[in-house]
Amino acid sequence: MRRVTTLFSFTILGLMSLQVSAQQTAAPPSHNEVLIKNAVVMTVTRGNVQNGSVYIKNGKVAAVGKEVNAPSTATVIDAGGKYLTPGIIDSHSHIALDDDVNEATSPITPQMMMIDAFDYQDKAIYRGLAGGVTTSLLLHGSANMIGGQAVVIKHKYGASRDAMLFPGAPQSIKFASGENPKRVYGGKEQLPSTRMGNFAVQRAALVEAQDYMREWDDYNAKVKRGDKDAKAPKHDLKLEALADVLRGKLLVQIHCYRADELLTEMAMAKEFGYKVRAFHHALEAYKVADELAAQGVAIATFSDWWGYKQEAWDAIPWNAVLSMRKGVRVAIKSDSGDFARRLNQEAGKTMRYGGATEEEALKMITINPAWIIGVDDRVGSIEVGKDADLVIWDGYPLSSFGVPDKVLIDGDVYFDRALPGFGMPHYREGE
Amino acid sequence: MGAQSSVVILQSPGLAARRWAFVVGQLLLVLAVCLLSVSVLAQQKIVVLKGGKLLTVSHGVIENGVLVMFSGKITALGTPGSIAIPKGAQVIDVTGMTVYPGLIDSESYLGLTEISAEQSTNDLIEISDEIMPHMHVYDAFHAESELIPVARLNGVTNAIVAPHSQDTLPGQDSLVQLDGKSANDMLLVRDIALPLNFTGEQRRNESWEKRKFPQTRMGLAAQLRQAFVDAQDYADRWADYEKKRADATAKPDDKKGPPSPLKHDLKLEALLPYLQGKKPIVLAAQEPSDLETAVGLARNFNLKFVLNHISHSRPVLDYVASLKVPVIVGPIYEDPRNYERYDAVYSLPGELYKRGVKIAFASYDAHAVRNLPYAAGYATAFGLPHDEALKAITLNPAEIWGVADKLGSLDVGKTANVVVADGDPLDVRSDVKRVFIDGREVPMTSRQTELRDRYSGH
Repeated sequence: MRRVTTLFSFTILGLMSLQVSAQQTAAPPSHNEVLIKNAVVMTVTRGNVQNGSVYIKNGKVAAVGKEVNAPSTATVIDAGGKYLTPGIIDSHSHIALDDDVNEATSPITPQMMMIDAFDYQDKAIYRGLAGGVTTSLLLHGSANMIGGQAVVIKHKYGASRDAMLFPGAPQSIKFASGENPKRVYGGKEQLPSTRMGNFAVQRAALVEAQDYMREWDDYNAKVKRGDKDAKAPKHDLKLEALADVLRGKLLVQIHCYRADELLTEMAMAKEFGYKVRAFHHALEAYKVADELAAQGVAIATFSDWWGYKQEAWDAIPWNAVLSMRKGVRVAIKSDSGDFARRLNQEAGKTMRYGGATEEEALKMITINPAWIIGVDDRVGSIEVGKDADLVIWDGYPLSSFGVPDKVLIDGDVYFDRALPGFGMPHYREGE
Repeated sequence: MGAQSSVVILQSPGLAARRWAFVVGQLLLVLAVCLLSVSVLAQQKIVVLKGGKLLTVSHGVIENGVLVMFSGKITALGTPGSIAIPKGAQVIDVTGMTVYPGLIDSESYLGLTEISAEQSTNDLIEISDEIMPHMHVYDAFHAESELIPVARLNGVTNAIVAPHSQDTLPGQDSLVQLDGKSANDMLLVRDIALPLNFTGEQRRNESWEKRKFPQTRMGLAAQLRQAFVDAQDYADRWADYEKKRADATAKPDDKKGPPSPLKHDLKLEALLPYLQGKKPIVLAAQEPSDLETAVGLARNFNLKFVLNHISHSRPVLDYVASLKVPVIVGPIYEDPRNYERYDAVYSLPGELYKRGVKIAFASYDAHAVRNLPYAAGYATAFGLPHDEALKAITLNPAEIWGVADKLGSLDVGKTANVVVADGDPLDVRSDVKRVFIDGREVPMTSRQTELRDRYSGH
């Protein structure tokens, strides 16, 4: 009897809140046509549209503006004058990896694939979603100088594992420097235990990869010449992965705090001919922002977290804006399940510390992290042709008071605060 | 000192009385100022904040208000017509700004740590034993910590400093003011409360091989009961001893003579003010089961207590309300349990408020104390009224910690801990422009602003 009542009230609530959610209780999610109207549309790249609308077709943004041509069959979501932003993008996350963040048994482990540990049922994905996060870069930890290869996910909690992977996202690899590797291996009386050791280990690995590439080049040249006796070198997944770094096939994401190490990492990249996509944490970026800007290296940093270790002692909350003013592309990232749930508030702090404009602050959690991940052509702004990953906010998003009302991914509502239970149309606990 | 007496007169309640008192007070002030030496005068000028929006917390909002500070106290505040600006006062125009009382953090680790990962800079917890009530935060409080200016630059002027929570009884909290010449100046109340932590994290369960008592919650609870029983016995023994000694003094010819001396036990002695209900225990629990065990234990010994955290006790909030005790909430950013909805912790302050529970926020941090107002702000998005959120970092904690006569609101006679910001105190976008502690304007500099200025060519 009790169960009947529950089901009944559930249905009624679903009907009252949204047609969309009522239709979507059945999996798999369908890419219906959706019209979001009566919103302050914060496009990020093309300004705000007051009393604007977004028309979504097949999971993509089909039109944005004051008036859009949507068919009468489209499901209408009235935003009630609230703010609409692109989904938040977290360019530094370790959620949904169980405890398998660090293969801390060797300082060079580029053949580790984070997707092998991806726990798509981790509730942290849901909690990030409820905070407006739609895309995350799940990185290896910082125990190793060269860690492993990241996985990019969309926060479609309740969907299958493969449906959560960001299709076609480029492959990133995580490097790290500073205190963590030297502590992990120094603690075991192994190399590295100093910053000298750190960089020596990194350089040695890259030289080994160069030798490996030469061996293969040599072999391939012999085959091409028709040398039937040519003997193929042994395949080595570790060196293959490093070779991909040298070939520029991987986006290099480097955990790095101190200004001197930022410079050393850039010099190392130059020496070996690869590009650094972004420095993560980069709490002293403000000291060498000109150099970072000249190299086109982005940073993914905290708004104001500091003092948790020696290399975070010179962190200042003005880092993001000081670096941005020098021309550095800046993202605010979480590095933790709980920061991920309020990245909007963290970005809002940059408006106070250094006076970022609304658009600059918003970029730090949307299009800039999208660039760091290499998916800025797909997400990170509200533009025609981009994925319809959108958040309707209750309250001004870049404040202490902004929280998501609804979150859409690929045009489907994945989170709706008005729904009972977990607030997810596609997920029911225990069913 | 003459100046002090004028301030006392200014404390009289009621607007008319206050206005009259102000006239008298002003006359006395002039007299007092004349009597003061030049050097004292230089330190203790009258400061007036004029034109700001005063969030008094205790009696609403005063638009375009005037606030007068002298000799470390708020000596007058009100609308422009009601307050005469004393001659010779330093008048600061704060038109368009928000003026509010200094914020109070109800649990921080300021002064006990500098760099978290560097053990040599930490004085956070003694883990050699679980029962450590004779540890006093004031013995370790580092007044010159670089973290303190960072916290006060965002308007936090007072904080409870507590030891970390790995022991059931880790030691006694102090209430500090975040400016002063030395620790002596800054420690307002040295032993203000005793934390009793019962969250499961106090168990010594590192590994099966290394197991030692207390490995379970049963062990921790039994150990706590024994400690309080021992303290009761100790008090009884001393009472008996004092009585016998008094008897011996009264009857010097009695053959028995004075009793043999008793040994002091600092650990048990430290528990006595709490056992006698003179000071509060800060009872920390997370889940309903731990909460009820801890409350049961506190009731067995008639302890006066406030609750701490209870972040995952949603199912028993009516029970919590029935206890009629305040709750220190947070950290509200903490993840809910996997079985809880995403906003289970965010909405806890609002749910407690709805049930009539007095709440106060805490940072539970040292480096992030400055973010205290944002936690309160975030709770407003989940059902806590804005005024109540501000109250939960000002007047409520002042009342909970027994210092509401001095702190927590903009009222005549209270300590002049006053903050000026360019917006809503709870919003991340607001910039704090001025901070007064004890009526002194503190410089808006920290190690962090110095680094900022060095690298941005200011």
